[in-house]
Amino acid sequence: MVNNRSSKFSHSAPSSDVASAASSAPTSAPTSVPTPDPTSVPASAPTSAFAWFIKHDSWVKPYFAYYKKTLFLALLLGTLSIGFAAALMFTAGWLIAGSAEMPYSILLLNLPLLFVRIFGVGKPVIRYAERLTSHNWVFKMTSHLRKRLFEALNTNGVFFKSTHRLGDALGLLAEDIGHIQNLYLRTIFPTVIAWIIGLGLVIGLGCFTWWIALVFLLLVVIEMGVVPYVSALINGARQQQRKHLTTQLYADLTDNIIGISDWISSGREHDFMNRTQDVLDDMRHIERKAHRFDRNRDLILQFVFALGSVAIFAWAAWYFGGSVGGSSNWILAFVLGYFPLIDAVTPLPQAATEASAHFDAIKRMNNIGTTDSKTAESKTHASKSDSKKSTGKKTTNSKPSESKTPVSTITEIEPPYTIKLDNVSFCYGATPLIENLSLEIPQGQHLVLLGKSGTGKSTLASLIRGDLVPQHGSVTLGGLDTRLLKDEAPRWFGVIQQQTYLFNTTLRENLLLGKPEASDQQLIDILDSVGLSALLKRLDHGLDTMVDEAGKQFSGGERHRIALARVLLQDCPIIILDEPTVDLDPKTEKEVLETIFTTLRDKTIIMITHHLMGADYADRILFIQKGSILMDGAPEHLKETNRYYQKLWAFDKGLSINTNSPTTSADR
Amino acid sequence: MIDKALLSLPGMKKILLISIVIALMDALLIVGQALLLASSLTAIWYGGALIDQVPVLIALVICFTTRQVIANIRSKQLDAYSAHLADSYRSRLLQQAFNQGPSLLQKQGTGNFTTLLLEGVDQIEGYIRLTVPKLTALFVVPIILLITIFAFDWISGLVGLVVFPAIILEMILIGHTAKIEAGKQHSEYQRLSNHFIDSLRGLDTLNYFGQDKEHSNRIFIASEKFRKATMRTLRVAILSGAVLDAFSTISVAAIAVLLGFRLVDGSITLFPALFVLILAPDYFRPIREFASDYHASLEGKNALASLQAILNQYDESSTAGMPALPAVQTLSFNQVNYSYDSYQALSDISFDARAGEHIGIVGPSGSGKSTLTHLIAGLAQPSEGTITLNDTPVSTLQNQSWQKQVVYLPQNPYIFHASLRDNLTFYQPDAAEEDIQRVIKLMELDELIAELPEGMDTLIGEGERTISGGQAQRIALGRTMLNKDCHVLIFDEPTAHLDIETEYELKSKMLPLMKDKLVFFATHRLHWLANMDRILVLGNHSISDEGTLDYLSHNSTEFRRLIQELG
Repeated sequence: MVNNRSSKFSHSAPSSDVASAASSAPTSAPTSVPTPDPTSVPASAPTSAFAWFIKHDSWVKPYFAYYKKTLFLALLLGTLSIGFAAALMFTAGWLIAGSAEMPYSILLLNLPLLFVRIFGVGKPVIRYAERLTSHNWVFKMTSHLRKRLFEALNTNGVFFKSTHRLGDALGLLAEDIGHIQNLYLRTIFPTVIAWIIGLGLVIGLGCFTWWIALVFLLLVVIEMGVVPYVSALINGARQQQRKHLTTQLYADLTDNIIGISDWISSGREHDFMNRTQDVLDDMRHIERKAHRFDRNRDLILQFVFALGSVAIFAWAAWYFGGSVGGSSNWILAFVLGYFPLIDAVTPLPQAATEASAHFDAIKRMNNIGTTDSKTAESKTHASKSDSKKSTGKKTTNSKPSESKTPVSTITEIEPPYTIKLDNVSFCYGATPLIENLSLEIPQGQHLVLLGKSGTGKSTLASLIRGDLVPQHGSVTLGGLDTRLLKDEAPRWFGVIQQQTYLFNTTLRENLLLGKPEASDQQLIDILDSVGLSALLKRLDHGLDTMVDEAGKQFSGGERHRIALARVLLQDCPIIILDEPTVDLDPKTEKEVLETIFTTLRDKTIIMITHHLMGADYADRILFIQKGSILMDGAPEHLKETNRYYQKLWAFDKGLSINTNSPTTSADR
Repeated sequence: MIDKALLSLPGMKKILLISIVIALMDALLIVGQALLLASSLTAIWYGGALIDQVPVLIALVICFTTRQVIANIRSKQLDAYSAHLADSYRSRLLQQAFNQGPSLLQKQGTGNFTTLLLEGVDQIEGYIRLTVPKLTALFVVPIILLITIFAFDWISGLVGLVVFPAIILEMILIGHTAKIEAGKQHSEYQRLSNHFIDSLRGLDTLNYFGQDKEHSNRIFIASEKFRKATMRTLRVAILSGAVLDAFSTISVAAIAVLLGFRLVDGSITLFPALFVLILAPDYFRPIREFASDYHASLEGKNALASLQAILNQYDESSTAGMPALPAVQTLSFNQVNYSYDSYQALSDISFDARAGEHIGIVGPSGSGKSTLTHLIAGLAQPSEGTITLNDTPVSTLQNQSWQKQVVYLPQNPYIFHASLRDNLTFYQPDAAEEDIQRVIKLMELDELIAELPEGMDTLIGEGERTISGGQAQRIALGRTMLNKDCHVLIFDEPTAHLDIETEYELKSKMLPLMKDKLVFFATHRLHWLANMDRILVLGNHSISDEGTLDYLSHNSTEFRRLIQELG
């Protein structure tokens, strides 16, 4: 009758730890507990987390009302499922007792016989229905949550990747949704059901005798209130601690593993083996304590439950007893019916322990909505805190200021599409990235932007497209300020990024992103023009071929060509290429560049690159250094007149052998 | 249903024995508890006084509590055992990583490896802690209870005896259908479950195409599709639990009804009937518990299997124990082959090199340049062929005394999550301050250090202060410069991804470092070749030509074609 469910502390520790793996490593010493993270609920206060949830949550609560009927049904079925198990034993007890009286006719026992059958068959059926209903309800809610989460994150638009470190953020977000699902399935539902049953029992007994109702009220409060609360308080805190340690471990281990060849070269085998040992030991220590706590808690839980059985036995004997059979039948019914109720109680402490992690996740999701829209609002203001340090940390305030707001009123821009930057300055935090830069790009020009990494090439491109708004000066397209383009920007600007992203759907869907209404023939023609007709023939399902996760089944060159096809379909006058070929080997790079500049010859091209390879295709080369223009001119012109350019060019082609005196600044 | 790998774990016999003994005691306590309850209920039913039952009730509470106490003893044993096992698995995995280096990690994937080491081992721990008690209870408790039930009432015993195999059969059957069902929809299922992450990954792409607003509806639709697919699978998966549930409750109901009939006609008395009825749910409980959390245990089972696959694959002894190799004078490869997963990555590689020589390695991408550098660096083990180091033939350079004299510089050198100082002194933690300062000057790291808030002690690396590719290379070069044991330098495309100006600056730092060292330099940047004494041309996984730049430029068509392509 007793469920010796062993605790699953370590086993069910939320796996979101994976997600937070590589980055945002807590840097605190292993023994000190959680790094102060403004988004996390203080581990030691489950009630305050709960209170916070009641007051501020806008992610979970609204869905209680959503699909209200299904939710109600799920709770009802859950209650019935445990209720039926108790009722089965209850009626079975009465049946046995009643039969033992040896009534002259079995017909007198018809009713209990019927009920025993109903409850015996009904319990599993209801349990089945309950599990399907509750899962279905939670999944329905998840669909809304996903949509909402996507919209909340989208306020960040094109900077999503720079403000959310991918491995970290993505995993966390996916896990957080999992947390919300578990909050319902493993915490809210069992707790609500247990309380309904517990209070039902108290009220039911209260109909007979007031003092037994009070005794059971006390037991219910202990078993369903005090024990889970204390459990959440103590082991919930441990679970948080453990989670932080795991995050740190993931960071340290990943660090070790990625740097393995350096470790091997260093010969520091001992250091390598021991680097994570302290944290592992701490974790083991916490776990040991948590397990001991669980064992003791279960012991108390069972003991109190046993006291309950004695109480109900005593009360029933006192209330119904005294005669042979007759009302004594009820004694058997009550006592036997009591034991199955343990199934309502046992999951609660674990549910409460897990709840703090769930609330943490919910708080994080609530924060996503607010911080992201806040930054969207802050628009032209420079970000506040030191930017470089906090880029990549989840949602901090220091992300580039953006211009995205939902509504755009632009309908047309008159050609020619001349891009004009007038005295533009842009700071990122306190660091100036672009300083007093003026530039005019006539329509149709093929411009190559060169410069060291970190000198503001990509920033310049974002300013042109209107994704970033300069603190000083203006950026105009055909006379119109590009910050006004907002959601309409894709009509004039196409972008090919460093890493082409292919979605995990069909090749057709991937291409249609550029032009949703394009016909298959158009797609085939475009693929042909970017040199992919051979690839299309090779694919078994043609345009319906599924693109694997991140397009891994295509080579680097093919991926770039697909991206090119997509941008061609988009058919806009200006194309921005951000280091489009950086991962390719020189041979493929050359071929892809060739295709890019052939197919896009009629458009304005702004290509950011760090090699000179692309420079030969350009009409104009712009060298950026520390936010200003270092060199500007046609490649042939620079080759003839600029010594620094000559030097780099010769170096790139492998002509210059003497590189031992690179006093570059003197040459400029 | 029963995992052999689990049962053959070291020390498992003792734990199983403890578990079985405790399951036996538990079964006896269940019987005792039922006897006490049935007898006192019977007495009360016959009008007995409550006061007479007090000792029985106390005994009942003791039985009840004792069961939890012995369960706690078992948990404690299991916790200790599984924790010990987990700790040893973790250190063995780390040892393997150190011994096998990148070749192991490339095969496993860095992410997979760390996940296995942390979460996988956790799952194994949980698997042992959950499965062992359930498994032993499954074999011990029902048998004892069934025997007892038979002793009191053979008809109820018969019901139990018939139902039990039916349950097992049903579990196998439904488990099988669920597997087929899940397998049928697996790929679609997988895709839908990844759809959300996929959308976030491509969020900027969606923005660039102006499709982001539209896409939120697509997310909803895909999510709803996912829900429907999941519910289809769940319907079958949950069914198995439901049928199990049905068997047990219906059997209890049947036992109750049958007992009722026989009580009415007097062929059985109240006490045995009550006793059997109380015992019946406990008879089914072990199998219900065994079936619950089956998915969780499946994860642990899989983790155990993949962990053992890694550990059994290689010799576990530390590479430190191998015979020490001397400092390099000459190094030659003789007909060395390297293959993995039946893929021939390199074949018939032969060359000679001597200390101080600079050897370039060129070839189209995919020709095996990186593999060759790994073999030379002792980060991988040749499948066939011999390597001769100063007249000593060895089968592998995967040997700590060799690895210590080699520094391997990849395209993206790794910057540890540590202070700049620790990163610089990584190979030589005891480096003298003046040496460190000298290296900082040479590598022109002063500017970077001046920018850092805490200078040399600022944390850099993943999740900290961002370091540009050029700066990372300089730190790595400085690190190498401080390494006193380094006689061999191996570069794998160290400047390919850098902007032209940074590359230009870096080259001047690298050339002095290479002086007097044996250098292997894989590259497709032509300007490096002029600084090499000799060049190996790789084509089609083997060396197609070899010679000085001058010689190759005039005599090798293969080389000339390559140069042409590299433009």
